Amino acid sequence: METDKAQVVVIGGGATGTGILRDLALRGIPAILVEQGDLAHGTSSRFHGLLHSGARYAVKDKEAARECIEENMILRRIAPNCVELTGGLFVQLPEDDPQYADQWITACTEAGISCAEADVQELIKKNPVLSPNVTRAFKVPDCAVDGFRILWGNVNSARRYGARVLTYHRVSAIHQSNGRVTGVELINQLNGQKRSIECEMVINAAGPWGGEVAAMAGLEVNVIKDKGTLVAYNHRLMNMVVNRLRPPGDGDIFVPHGTITILGTTSTTVDDPGCTKPGRDEVLALIKIGQEMVPELESYRLIRAFAGVRPLYQAGNATGGRSVTRNFALLDHQQRDGLAGMVSIVGGKFTTFRLMAEKTVDLVAGKLGVNAPCRTAREPLMAPVSEELLERGKRVFGVPGARKAAERLGDSFAQVVEQVEKNPDKGRILCECEVVSLAEIEHAAHSGDSFTLGDIRRKTRMGMGTCQGTFCSYRTLGALSGYPQFAGNHREYLTKFLQKRWKGMRPVLWGQQLREAQLSTGIYCTLFAMERMR
Amino acid sequence: MNKYTDVLIIGAGLSGLMAAAKAAEQGKKVMLVAKGMGAVGLSSGCIDLWGYNLEDPNQVCQDPLAEIARLCAVNPQHPYARVRDVLEESLLFFRRVCQENGYPYLDHRGGNWLLPTALGTLRPTYLAPASMALGDLQQVRGVLVVGFRELKDFYPDVLAANLKKSGVLQANCPLNTLMVCAGGGELTPNTLAHRLENPVVVDRIVDQIKPHLLPGAVLLLPPVLGERWDSQVAKNLAEKLGHPVYEVANIPPALPGQRLQQMLLHHVKGRGVEVVIGCTVNGARVADKRCTEVLATGAGKPIKISAKTVILATGSFLGGGLESKPGKAWESIFRLPVETGHEKWSARDFLSMAGHLFNQMGIKVNEHLRPVDKTGEVIIENVMVTGANLAGCNHPIEKCGNGVAVASGYKAGKLAGEVGE
Repeated sequence: METDKAQVVVIGGGATGTGILRDLALRGIPAILVEQGDLAHGTSSRFHGLLHSGARYAVKDKEAARECIEENMILRRIAPNCVELTGGLFVQLPEDDPQYADQWITACTEAGISCAEADVQELIKKNPVLSPNVTRAFKVPDCAVDGFRILWGNVNSARRYGARVLTYHRVSAIHQSNGRVTGVELINQLNGQKRSIECEMVINAAGPWGGEVAAMAGLEVNVIKDKGTLVAYNHRLMNMVVNRLRPPGDGDIFVPHGTITILGTTSTTVDDPGCTKPGRDEVLALIKIGQEMVPELESYRLIRAFAGVRPLYQAGNATGGRSVTRNFALLDHQQRDGLAGMVSIVGGKFTTFRLMAEKTVDLVAGKLGVNAPCRTAREPLMAPVSEELLERGKRVFGVPGARKAAERLGDSFAQVVEQVEKNPDKGRILCECEVVSLAEIEHAAHSGDSFTLGDIRRKTRMGMGTCQGTFCSYRTLGALSGYPQFAGNHREYLTKFLQKRWKGMRPVLWGQQLREAQLSTGIYCTLFAMERMR
Repeated sequence: MNKYTDVLIIGAGLSGLMAAAKAAEQGKKVMLVAKGMGAVGLSSGCIDLWGYNLEDPNQVCQDPLAEIARLCAVNPQHPYARVRDVLEESLLFFRRVCQENGYPYLDHRGGNWLLPTALGTLRPTYLAPASMALGDLQQVRGVLVVGFRELKDFYPDVLAANLKKSGVLQANCPLNTLMVCAGGGELTPNTLAHRLENPVVVDRIVDQIKPHLLPGAVLLLPPVLGERWDSQVAKNLAEKLGHPVYEVANIPPALPGQRLQQMLLHHVKGRGVEVVIGCTVNGARVADKRCTEVLATGAGKPIKISAKTVILATGSFLGGGLESKPGKAWESIFRLPVETGHEKWSARDFLSMAGHLFNQMGIKVNEHLRPVDKTGEVIIENVMVTGANLAGCNHPIEKCGNGVAVASGYKAGKLAGEVGE
């Protein structure tokens, strides 16, 4: 069995875990992050993609609201290519309690969130999908954020300082001796091989799996698993994030991302942290509520539904849902349970991941006797793409393609542009919906942590557009068939990928998307007879 | 603008074109209007009749016509049960039309061809154009898969790896791949097919392939050998190489389906059918269970068309013939009912061997292809339904879509001269 050594092992490759890894690395603490799947395969890719201003929490959770606005401003600064400065709106409809608005304005002001009343007529002119019945509207500094990109930004930054990452490695045991954690045991999810890491500290940042991870060390951490379903529209319905001005509830936020819009979410307590199946009833309920803000919602094309599990935390036993705080908690298991060398970071939100990481590493660094201060709020995640490089990119990918690739690739954009300059054939676009080139796909395949077509998708957005992978998955398989990790069982690779896309399409199979489904079953069954492929 | 015709066909897919060809042959005044180019251009270009055994759906069916006879007995709701009386004559008619236009479709001694696809899978089909009709893979003494550097939709190594795995080739059969250059740049299947119409380009490709040929080898290429149905590219290439050359089925756009459509369009226009592409039928007037006229828009202008018989060949959800909302589906022009069942519309697995209910949804018809309600009562007497609009056909799994289209289109064209007027 292979054995590694690191001072700290971080469990969980979501926003919090990767944020912690970066923070540790920047403070010079040797660390390995372990993740059971690909980075962001869990909660950190299954959310609105909303960088909260905090306004949503202002009335009920002032502390969470204050943290949000501070972190929002920090992420804009350190990760500009991951944040789209859309701005946000809170709109009130006739059926909403007007008194709530007054309460909300006061709460925002107290939390330091700017909220300026907007001219309703002008707003509707700029965002014509909005209901003409909107009574009041306020502008807040909400943004859209790309979860995948931030996570990879964290990891790449951490790697530059010597940190390591093991994806597709699930923790199977946490070893301890004399009341102190000594290491972890892992199982490679792709080939079943075991491996162990000796360490001084384990940080449990496993999100909805936090309770399960803690249990491996014999500890009890009450993570409430709260499933939220979201839908993706194949249109940019509006140019700003739009929230409903009333106490937080289901289906009351729209977030525009590039050419699509995400509407969510629902809230249901579940038992399984991996329960990411979007329910059809939840989808229909979402659309119904969403229609109050966007009356013509039914006529727009949905591309898919997806679901994520919020890891909520409340000390003691609580049931779940909207009433549970969105605050995070840092559990020092030495103090709490008498087990040295283990901390858990639970609860919280994507928006505040960096702060959660900072607090966690402050605690851990103290225990390890490291005095280096946190630098994650000051140091940019990646160097910006220069104008000159962008120009070179435009010559090989065209204007929109270059811009998208530059945003996706950040630091790696230069390498990909260079590849295409050397070999123009590599500039061909394999995913037409998201304008992803062969060079970019090959770059993702070369990265060392791409084992499935899904990993390529999360790194490049290949397969995330209108056709949901119908054309580009076949092309990507073809383009990568020379790579050892993709040369194996084509049926399995392709089926797994198409099945994941299918899972999201099924709850929205009507209208345009049903036509698309008929085309994709036509291609893979009628044309390729792939259902009987060996 | 007002138009009058005996037979109005809505849709330019395979069933619509078959209906037009048959009705025109019977001396009817025929008009065909279509929104777009029809789904036959997206298909393999082959006529899949029936792919597998009813008892063992993993076993390729050796006698599709006999299997369909058995199917009609066990599943009288299948569209084949409505058209079985004309099935054989419809196939003969189809082949005659193809032959007359110099684009013959070949059968495999009454059984199924088992043809390779670009993914390296094998698909059973009943009739194939000459450029695809690879006799028997078990007998070949070598395979060379040739791809084009300009084309992003075809990967010889993928085809070869999976063809090898399929176990159909003899164990010692050499299977090689080769990439050739057709002049550089990036090409779509259509622009590449256009370029290959130039004999100089073909010669350059022949030069690149020749050094890699092994005795007795057949060549497999992407479906780009020629733009038109009367193209000689595949034939010339085979002659110059001295080896048989075949196109394999691939993701759309692919030329064989497009060629079949062009050929049939050419045929029906030659028989006097008035064809209007880019014409959307938005609605219809129905009185006393008869359609008195349909309302269409072509080139931005409203058109009213009255016809004795209307053939609805509008192609399911994909073609726009059927529409849907959560829990509801209906036919888009006449609002004919579409049964959606109480079950889920789709199966959990994308590649489910049971198929998906949405692909089986459609319009119920009687033996004259007239739309009927739940009780079997005809809803509109002078409307007939064909092709993918018919309910009860699990075509992606059964491999029978184009077969149902040929037979139902033919039958509608034939009946247009006989009943309901």
